[in-house]
Amino acid sequence: MQPYIVQTIMGIFGSVGFAVLFGIYDWKLAVIAPCSGVGWIVYLVCVAAGYGVFTGLFVASLFVAAVSEILARILKTPVILWLVPMLIPEIPGGDLYDTMYYLVQGRYTEFGISSNQVLVEAGAIALGIILASYIVKITESIVRWQEKQRKRRQIKD
Amino acid sequence: MIIILIIDKDYTKELRVNKMTCNELDKFDYEEMNYCLFAIMDIGELLLMHGAEVSRVEDTIMRLCCAYGFARSDVFTITSSIVVTVMTADGKAITQTRRIRERDTDLGKVAKINALSRRICAEPVALEDFRKKIQEIQNMKQAPVLLHLGMYMMISASLSVFFGGTWMDGFAAALSGVVLFAALRGSTALKLNSIIQSMICSGITAAAVLLLVGAGVGVHPDKIMIGNIMLVIPGIQFTTSLRDMINGDTISGLLNMSEALLKAIAVAMGFTIILLIGGGGCSLI
Repeated sequence: MQPYIVQTIMGIFGSVGFAVLFGIYDWKLAVIAPCSGVGWIVYLVCVAAGYGVFTGLFVASLFVAAVSEILARILKTPVILWLVPMLIPEIPGGDLYDTMYYLVQGRYTEFGISSNQVLVEAGAIALGIILASYIVKITESIVRWQEKQRKRRQIKD
Repeated sequence: MIIILIIDKDYTKELRVNKMTCNELDKFDYEEMNYCLFAIMDIGELLLMHGAEVSRVEDTIMRLCCAYGFARSDVFTITSSIVVTVMTADGKAITQTRRIRERDTDLGKVAKINALSRRICAEPVALEDFRKKIQEIQNMKQAPVLLHLGMYMMISASLSVFFGGTWMDGFAAALSGVVLFAALRGSTALKLNSIIQSMICSGITAAAVLLLVGAGVGVHPDKIMIGNIMLVIPGIQFTTSLRDMINGDTISGLLNMSEALLKAIAVAMGFTIILLIGGGGCSLI
């Protein structure tokens, strides 16, 4: 249990560090830190529940993306301002490095395995992000449509 | 800059209808419209340079063109270029192109530009004020070097512990993070090509890590390196490229992805060369 707690805290530090590198200096850091931590916890819980890496990363990035979409709608800021720093713990940087390391060394069997893994991981994250953004968009348009209907009814009355 | 005069009369008829809705345009003549588009392109360029998504750049430019009373605007953006053709209400077309060479992620600036364009779309301001506000954002002060250095140390240390290193490994990663930062700064001053730059910087960092382990600081060279690697490897770019592709911006996605892969190969080559010399090749899994 304890290594996971340490890992989560370190993930938070990493997210905050990248957020500062990306030009975020103010109170937004205080929001980014806990949300990125919770995102990593979601991944850990999914993996502990017996799901694979794909499902874990997909659910975690879906969660993080949903949070950042909601924050962006409330505070009228771009989504990536929240999304990019919060996703740092999930980003498959190490595996991308490993893939290229095997390629450079000419170990093609390992290269095949790890490039497949990187694509699966990055694809899971990308799918999560896109699904969250479309869910939010569809919800928005449904709400708008309902308001239109309400106005029409009022005019009829 | 290409200027096309539209002679098609049917089209101008349609546009005259539009003129009723954008009376803002009456104040501008042709020169000013060119100038106005130039300012809008500035906004698009700033957004793209500082890491906004392609779809956001296109959307922002189209909204601003609408706010300044152009009848129609066609925007085509990829990660390295923006092309905009606008049609004025009296049927003239103006085209401008921007080429974006350098990019660095600065989401704070993206947020500021986004807020500015929101304000302008709500109520268009005079062009002079608009230009002034853009320049304010362009000339914003950069963060102090020491802050960036501190962040490099913090990210290296925390991510090397995150990927399973011991506390001592984290400390060593912080030290090699300083080396990485110095190498990046130095090579930026030398104006090296970015692929060569990441190769040289990762090589220097790997050498520093091996020296540190040799000197007894830190135990696992691979765990120390992963913290530094996360700073130079374009993992975020790779993920966003997949997102762009699934989202429908295939060209930008492909460009981004090939750039990310090339950079990753360069980083891996830099590390590999030093590891082969220093003995004890290591992968991270």
